Amino acid sequence: MKIGAPRESARGEARVALTPESAKQLQKLGHECLVETGAGAEAGFNDDTYREAGVTVVDSAAALWRDAEVVIKVREPNDEEAERLRNGQTLIAFFWPAQNEAMLEKCRATGATVIAMDMVPRISRAQKMDALSSMANIAGYRAVIEAGNNFGRFFTGQVTAAGKVPPAKVLVIGAGVAGLAAIGTATSLGAVVRAFDVRPEVSEQIESMGAEFLFLDFDNAQDGSESGGYASPSSPEFREKQLECFREQASDVDIVITTALIPGRPAPKLWLEDMVALMKPGSVVIDLAAEKGGNCDLTRADERVVSDNGVVVVGYTDYPSRMATQASLLYATNIRHMLTDLTPDKDGVIQHNMEDDVIRGATVTHQSEITFPPPPPKTRAIGAAKPKPKEKEATPEEKRASETAAFKSQTKRQVTLLAVGGALMLLLGQVAPASFMQHFIVFVLACFIGFQVIWKVSHSLHTPLMAVTNAISGIIILGAVLQIGSGSVIVSILAAISVLIATINIVGGFLVTRRMLAMFQKS
Amino acid sequence: MLSQGFVSAAAIAASVLFILSLGGLSNQEKAKRAVWYGIIGMAVAVFFTALGPGIGGYWLMIPMIIIGAVIGTRLARRVEMTEMPQLVAALHSFVGLAAVFVAWSADLERRRVLAERAADGMMQEFSAFAALVATKAPDELMFLQVEVVLGIFIGAVTFTGSVIAFGKLAGKVDGKPRQLPGGHLLNAGAAVLSLALAILYLNGAGFWTLLLLALLAFFIGYHLIMGIGGADMPVVVSMLNSYSGWAAAAIGFTLSNDLLIVTGALVGSSGAILSYIMCKAMNRNFVNVILGGFGGTQGPAAEIEGEQISIDANGVASALNDAESVIIVPGYGMAVAQAQSAVSDLVRKLRDAGKEVRFGIHPVAGRLPGHMNVLLAEARVPYDIVLEMDEINDDFATTDVVIVIGSNDIVNPAAQEDPNSPIAGMPVLKVWEAKQVFICKRGQGTGYSGIENPLFFKDNSRMYYGDARESINALLPMME
Repeated sequence: MKIGAPRESARGEARVALTPESAKQLQKLGHECLVETGAGAEAGFNDDTYREAGVTVVDSAAALWRDAEVVIKVREPNDEEAERLRNGQTLIAFFWPAQNEAMLEKCRATGATVIAMDMVPRISRAQKMDALSSMANIAGYRAVIEAGNNFGRFFTGQVTAAGKVPPAKVLVIGAGVAGLAAIGTATSLGAVVRAFDVRPEVSEQIESMGAEFLFLDFDNAQDGSESGGYASPSSPEFREKQLECFREQASDVDIVITTALIPGRPAPKLWLEDMVALMKPGSVVIDLAAEKGGNCDLTRADERVVSDNGVVVVGYTDYPSRMATQASLLYATNIRHMLTDLTPDKDGVIQHNMEDDVIRGATVTHQSEITFPPPPPKTRAIGAAKPKPKEKEATPEEKRASETAAFKSQTKRQVTLLAVGGALMLLLGQVAPASFMQHFIVFVLACFIGFQVIWKVSHSLHTPLMAVTNAISGIIILGAVLQIGSGSVIVSILAAISVLIATINIVGGFLVTRRMLAMFQKS
Repeated sequence: MLSQGFVSAAAIAASVLFILSLGGLSNQEKAKRAVWYGIIGMAVAVFFTALGPGIGGYWLMIPMIIIGAVIGTRLARRVEMTEMPQLVAALHSFVGLAAVFVAWSADLERRRVLAERAADGMMQEFSAFAALVATKAPDELMFLQVEVVLGIFIGAVTFTGSVIAFGKLAGKVDGKPRQLPGGHLLNAGAAVLSLALAILYLNGAGFWTLLLLALLAFFIGYHLIMGIGGADMPVVVSMLNSYSGWAAAAIGFTLSNDLLIVTGALVGSSGAILSYIMCKAMNRNFVNVILGGFGGTQGPAAEIEGEQISIDANGVASALNDAESVIIVPGYGMAVAQAQSAVSDLVRKLRDAGKEVRFGIHPVAGRLPGHMNVLLAEARVPYDIVLEMDEINDDFATTDVVIVIGSNDIVNPAAQEDPNSPIAGMPVLKVWEAKQVFICKRGQGTGYSGIENPLFFKDNSRMYYGDARESINALLPMME
């Protein structure tokens, strides 16, 4: 199959769906790759590097759409591109079918198959083609860089000869992929990071990234998680509590990064005008939800706004495109994984298997029919696991009580054991001759010493221990030595054999132990 | 001829030296000195006992000792470290057999002394042991018989059990659990029969009872160990180690020799503790292991999601080059593939590149307690980077790359996450907490317990299929 990547038509879009690296991998699957001239220029891949990777560079978009059987793109097609689609062709791109019904109908009419990268279901098998996550990751990283660009101070706290610098305080709202990436980036720059999310199960992830989770004290335990690992709208009471918490933070934090989105709805307003007013001059708000209306009241999409009190509110919507090289590399890899799943036999033939959860979920038009929305996937989505209830810390009294109880039961067990053991000894003493009891004392004491000594043996020396105990259990040779001079021939023969094998045991055991121990070397 | 006083003093010295020798194994450096204590103790014990009163037959004893020493030396020189479990099992069988012989002889001597006493009532010149028997009162002789029975029974079980364990470990006997029809009922029957024979013997029946008793015990040892699978061998070998000690102690009682009793008790308790540690590490009790097989599950196993994703040498190598900390978790598969020196080369390269490399050893990894440590030591891996499970288990979360080589059940997260799993509750190495886990494995398949391992399906796991040695060797040239 011929797979072609045209130059992106949307204004300001610098990404490209095919990189020289992904082209090489696609060729291994038996495909042929095409690229429109100049398609990768803005992402840092010129035509020559494509040619070196074995990609055919095509002169015009029209020629590419004509030649390619599979067209891979970043942005959804515009009208002109949709008209170029033909029956039997496959288009793979971000499509947003729920918001673009007219375009969906237009594509269906052409008879082409459209695979929407934004519709890849969130199951673990499909993570490698989850382009939304890869882009969100970049957005989160870039948001912190953008904040640093607009913020007049260091992120990290320092003590310098010229005075002490406090660390920047960053608040991240919404701990999805973008939020977590932002937390990671900000903490690694040295900032003090706090984070909030309506889904309490992400608190562990937040803490693992090195941020503090802002916990809401709310009776109906905050729980806004929905299947698929996305957030759902919250109740008015909950919202009030949440805003109250943010208001408290507003005067303290230097940088706010909001990433709160609810699928299929406008972004919730979480950072209100009065909170911006409370912030210190020079503080920065980065609104990653600007495309969906923004989480902050002051946000204007694609613009940098400065409030009356000198707070910078950034509403850019094109973070991935601002890091076009990285974004293209990741997006092209996601596309490549999708094509790998579409080419199961690695023979360059695409098999559109509508039984496959991932392919079915992402396909929005197929064989002149609209296949959106997809049925729920057969495999359960990730991230829906409920958090475990926190175990109650035992109070000091309870701890002490349980300790004394454990001690008591231990004492009881020991006393019972001693009593039973003593009784048995007494019984044995009644029947056994005195000479036996003398030996028995030696035996019991030796067992005790053995237990004490062996517990201290290092685990790593257990094999040498077995070899050395093997050797000393050859002490049975003494029994044979005592008998070998007997007057009876049979006894002498039996004893002689015993001497022989016990000697093998002793010598073999000790020598092999020495060999082993000599191997243990310190670095 | 030395007097009895000399012999006793030597016995005390030897006992102390043996205890020091075992105690010295608490660390690697002391151990090298401690093994000499053991050797000297043994030399003192044998030398002074052999020169003691009433000992004869030197013309037979000395050649036997020399031949035995030559064979023992050759064995110890030749054995490969991967064959250590077999060697240990084989040596146990010798102790068992010697115990049976000595106990038989003891009874023959007893009969001879009694016969002489009945014949003329005159005490002629007896050799060492016979002379001792001659001084015993009737009730002491009764106890002697009980001790003889114990010595024969334990010794015989140890003998055949060790022979079978040797066969299984050496691959000469099928490693799968095998039992005759009737299973443990046969063992129980044989045990009851042995008890009956013992009672007959105590009531004055002839020497044939002891021969039959030994045969029955041989059967029990054979059948018991045949029913235990290969991976449970660490427990079996340490159990047999314990038995060989108890057999020696029983013989010590028979011969009224305190040195034998002390040494037997030391060895017996050592084996018992090792078995206990092994069982604890598998979260199973001793009876369960010996009677064989894993218990039934308590419910359906949790479903496993995801897929096993394989990776090639390039991928593993680049991850290793990027990593700062690496933990290697070896298992029996590493010993089977003889991959330890390849692993050692890899470790050297990684350490030369300034990376932190450590090993995590599960107590039941391998076929003998501490087996992995010896293999790694042989391959010149320094022992201070080889850590026990408890020492390293909390460090996985901060580790970049974990390489699992030929182990399966000991890294199975189901043991902690799935209460219905047959191995639920078993302590395992938490490798899945690391950023990335590479599993070096021959092919898809389950471990000894026969249960699926969810680790292989985790998002941060990658399967690196192939023979362990070749796989690791393939990585070497790619290390920067």
